[in-house]
Amino acid sequence: MIKCENLKKVYPVKKSKGYEALTEVDLEIKAGDFLSITGPSGCGKSTLLHILGFLDNPSGGKYFFQGKNVTSFNDRKRSMLRREKIGFIFQSFNLLPRFSASANIMLPMLYAGVEKSEALERSYKLLEDVGLKGKENNSALELSGGECQRVAMARAIANKPELIIADEPTGNLDSKTGKNVMALLKKLNGEGLTVIMVTHDNELAKIASKIIVMKDGRIEKTVGR
Amino acid sequence: MKITELLKTGSLEIWHHKMRSFLSFFAISIGVISILYSLVLIYSMSFRTKKALEIAGPGKMTVQMPRSGGENTDPNAPKDVLTLDDSLAIRKEFQRLYMVSPSLKKYVRVTHGKFNAHQLVEGISTEWRRRGWIYTLKGRFLNQYDVDNFERVCVIIKTGGWIKKPKWIKLYSWKDRFQEYIKHNEVLGSTIQLGDNLYTIVGILEEPVLEKNPKTFLSMSGRWGGKIFVPITTAQRFLSGWSMNGDGIESISIDTGEEKKINSYKKKIEKFVQSRHSGKLKFEIKDYRELIKEQLTDKARDMYTVLIIGIIAILAGGIGIMNVTLATVYSRIKEIGIRRAIGATRMNIMSQFIVEATFLGFIGGIAGVFIGIIGIQYLASKGNTDMMMVQWWMPFLSILAAMLTGFFAAIYPAWSASKLDPVEALKYE
Ligand SMILES: Nc1ncnc2c1ncn2[C@@H]1O[C@H](COP(=O)(O)OP(=O)(O)OP(=O)(O)O)[C@@H](O)[C@H]1O
Ligand SMILES: [Mg+2]
Repeated sequence: MIKCENLKKVYPVKKSKGYEALTEVDLEIKAGDFLSITGPSGCGKSTLLHILGFLDNPSGGKYFFQGKNVTSFNDRKRSMLRREKIGFIFQSFNLLPRFSASANIMLPMLYAGVEKSEALERSYKLLEDVGLKGKENNSALELSGGECQRVAMARAIANKPELIIADEPTGNLDSKTGKNVMALLKKLNGEGLTVIMVTHDNELAKIASKIIVMKDGRIEKTVGR
Repeated sequence: MKITELLKTGSLEIWHHKMRSFLSFFAISIGVISILYSLVLIYSMSFRTKKALEIAGPGKMTVQMPRSGGENTDPNAPKDVLTLDDSLAIRKEFQRLYMVSPSLKKYVRVTHGKFNAHQLVEGISTEWRRRGWIYTLKGRFLNQYDVDNFERVCVIIKTGGWIKKPKWIKLYSWKDRFQEYIKHNEVLGSTIQLGDNLYTIVGILEEPVLEKNPKTFLSMSGRWGGKIFVPITTAQRFLSGWSMNGDGIESISIDTGEEKKINSYKKKIEKFVQSRHSGKLKFEIKDYRELIKEQLTDKARDMYTVLIIGIIAILAGGIGIMNVTLATVYSRIKEIGIRRAIGATRMNIMSQFIVEATFLGFIGGIAGVFIGIIGIQYLASKGNTDMMMVQWWMPFLSILAAMLTGFFAAIYPAWSASKLDPVEALKYE
């Protein structure tokens, strides 16, 4: 599904040649994989995720997504891929605070052109699936952290994506709610979705079928198939 | 993403920043009010011009003494004036003219029964009938016998009322006491005192109802003419009282019958009158277009002032909206990042802000039109005939202007929002 060759990311920095956050990253991810990425803070995990999720452009190298070289895609095409194929989950949930839980989930569907009534119906169904029945009209400010993350997960899968990208999804949660979220991710992976997850927790990383350990912008080692 | 969804987010946002939104649509409203007002003025002006030409006929011109030409330097100096003979001579010389109608106005005391006040009395010849006749005649009109024999007879114009008085002029308080009097008293055939002498009222000229009267919305023709007419010879011999030009006559209205001939006739008549006064008479010939233009100049100045104020106000409103939208963009950087992450394109982000700002302009426009219409109705009720000419499409055009302002003001902020780097926007707190 994903193949990266010699990916490189250089952040511009004043009065120097720039900071190289990713160096010679080669990576292959098959459909249905559950990939964990670990490594010390600042080693470039988030940077890699942003590139894989079309939020950012690599400075060098090639990125093939489902066989297509997407390095040269323009913003519109990349946005389309993001909305149709990818669901993001963040450490800080990133819900729109003034919107209700269901409105948050409807948003990606509306961008994708789904009818409003259908989107509404689907958002209720998704909230039920993540165990939040009855909280449809609560705004993000009226939900607990664990509940927020579950809304965010429902939003991530609203457009039936093929790839879930999660950047420390349990980072802001206690271990019990964190395990709940992990179980949900595992379930999604069981249903055939590809998952790429960054975590600091070695225990959680072990759920994955493949673990990548990064250091200083490089992949230090790969564990699993 | 449908526009209704964008509007929903937009109204949430506008509501969330009430004060900020209010200030910018306040400025927009003021702009819209002035634009609405100047639209009415522009429309009124072109309407009046068209109607005035229609009624008078484009072939019309007026020979008259200059209104002010330093005449008062020496009141005792012999003054050459336009005379009735000039009028008769023009008639004789240029047989093909459709109309040669002399006029002499005097401001005299008018007494009839209980009525007693000063009124304008106009001396005319029989050719006056050719000056845009819109009347129903009761009794008879002045005839050549009256003119030749200095008869003391007069005809009176009776103005028409409204069939159904439009609501907006219910409060119209100015009433013509003479008209009120003749409306409630049968005066045809009776005797009236004009100045020092008694006259017989031989005819009543009934104007059509105001809805059907082309002069209703026309301030330039007819309104300042007299409502009482006597033979011009009679006026010269018997009427004393204040008038514009002493012994002579005031003006000669001429109609060539068609527009094409107006310039050649103008030259010929000018030469002719000049030769009759051996070049010493100060007079001018104005064709009707010139007269109208002159009368409209003041109005045009008003109109442009208002229009400029309107444009400035709406620009200020636009800058206000731009400012608000910029502020909104800054306060929503995180939101922009989130929307980008879940698949919003740059265009989606841009249209979001543009729709919001256009909507803000729309609300401001509605408010402005609302206040503007109230103001216009008030002015109309006070007898401002310009304001009576407000058309249904004017509010719409004004609102459209406000929306366009919002639209264009938002382009830059919306563009900069769409240019934000998604990753940086997501990290923004
Ligand atoms: N916009 C930027 N400009 C310059 N340097 C940046 C920028 N973004 C990230 N970096 C640098 O790139 C490196 C990698 O950052 P990244 O966010 O990918 O780290 P990370 O592995 O996700 O760390 P953490 O575990 O703390 O989230 C860091 O050293 C960071 O300072
Ligand atoms: Mg990170």
